[in-house]
Amino acid sequence: MVSEDKGMRPSMAVNLGGIQMRNPVNTASGAFGFGWQFEGFYDVGATLGAITCKGVSAEPWEGNPAPRMCEVTSGILNSVGLANPGVAGMLAKSGEYLQGLEAAGCRVIVQAVGHSVEEYVAAVERLEELAPWASAVEMNISCPNIARGGKLVGGTPEDAAEVVRAVRPRVSRPLLVKMGPVRVPEIARACEAEGADALSLINTVNAMSIDVHTRRSRLSRPTGGLSGPAIHPIAVRMVWEAANAVRIPVNGIGGVATWQDAAEMILAGATSVTVGTANLYDPVAARDVAAGLEAWVAEQGVADVNELIGAVEC
Amino acid sequence: MVPKGKAHLHDYVVVDNEGVAEGVQRLVMRAPALAAELMGGQFVNVAVPGDPSHLLRIPLAFSAADAAAGTVELEFAVVGEGTRRLAAMAPDQGATVVGPCGNPWRVGEGQGRSVLVCGGIGVTPIVACARMLVAAGVVFDVVVGAGTAAKLWGTDELEALGAGRVVVTTDDGTAGRKGFTTDALADLLASGSYGMVYTCGPEVMMRGVARLCAEAGVACQVSMERMMTCGFGACNTCNVPAAKGGYLSVCMDGPVFDAEEVAW
Repeated sequence: MVSEDKGMRPSMAVNLGGIQMRNPVNTASGAFGFGWQFEGFYDVGATLGAITCKGVSAEPWEGNPAPRMCEVTSGILNSVGLANPGVAGMLAKSGEYLQGLEAAGCRVIVQAVGHSVEEYVAAVERLEELAPWASAVEMNISCPNIARGGKLVGGTPEDAAEVVRAVRPRVSRPLLVKMGPVRVPEIARACEAEGADALSLINTVNAMSIDVHTRRSRLSRPTGGLSGPAIHPIAVRMVWEAANAVRIPVNGIGGVATWQDAAEMILAGATSVTVGTANLYDPVAARDVAAGLEAWVAEQGVADVNELIGAVEC
Repeated sequence: MVPKGKAHLHDYVVVDNEGVAEGVQRLVMRAPALAAELMGGQFVNVAVPGDPSHLLRIPLAFSAADAAAGTVELEFAVVGEGTRRLAAMAPDQGATVVGPCGNPWRVGEGQGRSVLVCGGIGVTPIVACARMLVAAGVVFDVVVGAGTAAKLWGTDELEALGAGRVVVTTDDGTAGRKGFTTDALADLLASGSYGMVYTCGPEVMMRGVARLCAEAGVACQVSMERMMTCGFGACNTCNVPAAKGGYLSVCMDGPVFDAEEVAW
């Protein structure tokens, strides 16, 4: 897309573990719906490098009761409980739109969720069968494992390795693993060893907010996941740790609201940058991040964004 | 059919901003494209400048959208830091607003006499509903509730729109009838024949209205409120339990629901 008359536009294309993206900007699962919700704001297919769909299970999940969200300083807490319409439900409503994104050059990453190894396998098998046109599959291993009392499915290197090992042979395209903000270098290495093509991190940070008048949690569950600018510096540090621990590329997620936030992720070692919560309060955030990143790369005097990946000096 | 979001991002400028009752503020904003699109019962999600650590927009109902003037009128309860900053915005200040969000009130062709039941800040979308009924030639009566006379508002607007009976209730009896809107609605339903009841207010009030309507065999539409993040179907946080099981989304399936869709 380099225009001849300007001539100086940098190359923004990146390769995220086999996913060829026109630019490094992606959207986070759970913060972008299935993409079409944003078509009233801008042309998603013409603008973004990729979108990551809301995580889906093999069958629909109802999720948690209200209230599922409360606002805190510079962030939000949510306890949606991975409510989703299931693979078939997603495709019945949004499949045609998502295929249109692929045709327009915006990569579609479908995400699988589960409460057990068996549920992840069931979800990715349905995605392989029903959504073969999607560029990649991301497995969100920071879901609670029901059989282990709600501990994260991928909360230890051993558990992460187990679930990635089970899923890897069933996915015939690039496989991303979305990690929680725990034991990052070890779990990153475990996922890489089991064949992950790229790592997405971080997921929300487990957190709590209490209404001091009623003495109740402000969510329907005691705790929830913190997202938004409040977690951004934590995410930058963890992306930097992961990028230094593995050879596979890292998809940087966590409180990215502006191009400056995205540029930090790239300097920390992220190949792609994912906009999450900001989409919900600033629906053109991802579009503006893409434009701002390109201007930053040009201002840095390099011809290719790839030259800036991991270029932090410290 | 490929689904497509209907909400857009608009700039707004404050035209007028004043108190109308204790704890209730009326803000008139200029946002011409939004004013031309909005239908009664829908809502908007308003950015309030001044505190970057406060991320979320404030989802608000409107009482009037004037396409000719390019303005939208929002009456809101001043309840927290965000609404206090919104109430303090001066004319010519502005930011952005997302809308239209959600689905409008439904008015049937040849619909019989209707009742509008509203309490507290629920008056706002009910005034917009009254405008739709006037446009459709549907006659209507009104029950307006408030905690006290000082918090009461909307009766002038509803009378000016041609409401038949206007019954006022307050919790403490300082204006109108002492008691709840549901007491007044029960009397209306017993005394006449109605084609539809529209309601917005505290959830406990709407639950009572829904029950009275079910008992009387009168159809009822309710406008629900939830803590909300995006307002356009991306985040899945504004859920209401559905009568058939599972959940409904306030911003995508509502905020206007048939009362019988909701598990009260």
